[in-house]
Amino acid sequence: MGPVEGLVYGFGVALAPANLLACFVGVLIGTVVGVLPGIGPIGAMALLIPSTFALSPATALIMLAGIYYGAMYGGSTTSILVNVPGEAASVVTTLDGYQMARRGRAGAALTVAAMGSFVAGSLGVVGIVLSASWLADQALRFGPPEYFALSAMGLAILSRLSGGAVRMSLLMVGLGLALGTVGMEPISGVRRFTFGVLQLAQGIELVPVIMGLYGVAEVIVLAEEGLRKADLARVRLRELFPTREEWGRSAMPIARGSVVGFVAGLVPGPAAVLSTFVSYALERRVSKTPERFGHGAIEGVAGPEAANNGATAGAMVPLLSLGIPFAPATAILLGALVIHGVQPGPLLMVQRPEVFWGVVASMYIGNLFLLVLNVPLVGVFVSILRLPQHVLSTLVLLLCLVGAYSLNNSPLDLWVLVGMGIVGWAFRKLAIDPAPLIVALVLGPFMENTLRQTLFMAHGDWRLLVLRPLSLALLLVGVLVLAAPPVVAALRRTRRAA
Amino acid sequence: MGARGAALVALAASGAYLALAAGFPLGTAASPGAGLFPVAVGAYLVLVAGALTLAAFRRERAAAVTPGVAVPAGARRRVAVTIAALAGFCLALPWAGYPVVAFAFVTLLLGRLGGGGWAGAAAAGLLVAGASYYLFAVLLGVPLPLGLLG
Repeated sequence: MGPVEGLVYGFGVALAPANLLACFVGVLIGTVVGVLPGIGPIGAMALLIPSTFALSPATALIMLAGIYYGAMYGGSTTSILVNVPGEAASVVTTLDGYQMARRGRAGAALTVAAMGSFVAGSLGVVGIVLSASWLADQALRFGPPEYFALSAMGLAILSRLSGGAVRMSLLMVGLGLALGTVGMEPISGVRRFTFGVLQLAQGIELVPVIMGLYGVAEVIVLAEEGLRKADLARVRLRELFPTREEWGRSAMPIARGSVVGFVAGLVPGPAAVLSTFVSYALERRVSKTPERFGHGAIEGVAGPEAANNGATAGAMVPLLSLGIPFAPATAILLGALVIHGVQPGPLLMVQRPEVFWGVVASMYIGNLFLLVLNVPLVGVFVSILRLPQHVLSTLVLLLCLVGAYSLNNSPLDLWVLVGMGIVGWAFRKLAIDPAPLIVALVLGPFMENTLRQTLFMAHGDWRLLVLRPLSLALLLVGVLVLAAPPVVAALRRTRRAA
Repeated sequence: MGARGAALVALAASGAYLALAAGFPLGTAASPGAGLFPVAVGAYLVLVAGALTLAAFRRERAAAVTPGVAVPAGARRRVAVTIAALAGFCLALPWAGYPVVAFAFVTLLLGRLGGGGWAGAAAAGLLVAGASYYLFAVLLGVPLPLGLLG
């Protein structure tokens, strides 16, 4: 199936009533969690995985993906109206978006942000279709050594680009890999690190780990900060339309932001966040009046808002074409696919076309839904912020607890959830980003498998990993990404001292 | 706990993981056993935690400020209540059942974190416990234990 036929087939899948409803529910939840500071798409996606058990794999993934990209729309709303980013990827939007709101141009900023997100999301679908098909073709030549090297490279880049110190990110990778070794080893049946607890034989579930690290930890942080009341700006319908000059100023930043975001999404790491900073810096650099940035320049809203949506589309490429997630959100999508019995990888497009093409096409439909939801109905979403924080926190905790319990009806998952919540809270206090832990936990069993297959293939000769050109290249990229910055810094210091 | 303490805990935990991993069958290079990957991960963890410990000791010698897990006094109570409520839910769910535990959980959190009256919190607890049991157990089929009410 070629890209055009595939996309047409995908629209057929995505327009089925159940999938259309799942897409709408997903983007609606995504917008809500994007609006609410603290409760992000990652926690929400993890929370809703158990509720997708009764759905088909395509429907489940359409809904979960909708939460992921829908949150990027919602995140901009609070950045512009309240100066509080609903999402980390909307932090940059506060710089100029809130300044626009203070000058009475909140409606224009919201419309441009939504339109930028829509354009980037739509272009992202085209990008996925073109690049994922090509990448999946290339990936058919991959063997176990290449997959192992690709996973190792992804973790190395993620460690370098994640927030906080690199050493700490590397420790998180190790912790994630270690957690992934808990349970019954699939080949020999040896029980590892179970300490006699029967329930641990099935391993540590991804969902309570993510809900704990992101959902429960966030609620503990909110409890610590105490009650807050949002000071909301009012937006009138007639203010929603940008002027001709504002549209003119936004067009190219949206185009550039879409490309920057999509490319950033292909790279392991917090792509949605990074892409907004890159886009903002780029717009400031190419602007003839850079002094306007930070004082309500609409380019500073248009570019980054397009970039964070482009990044969510880009991040889907390695997941859908290689079956390898490079970010926590796509790790959850991978987890959901596995739970639904779908084997992700380059053959996904051939073996489960309804999942691959259905999800891709649904992203376009979801972006249309989001445009309608986020511009005229912005006031409705903002009013969610009026819900008392302690009520919301209590409900989120209860949902997390029921969600974790419903996985296996096991109290062990509840303890993992609470334990990870406390660990996640401590991570926040220590400024440690848990993203590498999540991705390593997902990739760990896959890496173990591919490493053992490599050794079987090579009759125990480790050198196979560096004798195959592609595998060697991938490993070298990982080493370079980790080693180059400290080496360059040391050289500079030596030069300065001399 | 300072950076030194945290790094030492990480190093000790990594060492313990490696020691346990070494107890699993390693197999041969051509036919790796269940212990090979955990040993490799353990060695990696010890290496990274060792580097972290070294860096922490060097940094503290240079009197650099490091982030800590200090919590202001008023906030400490709210954090303790939240964690205690979560732990209580996990402990009590198997024998007390979902409706009773959810009621107590919601009432405690709304009453202590919201600053409102206990009567309102209890009423909300009753409503949320009943509605959520109906939603999850009856409509969605999640086998939540009834416990004391069963």
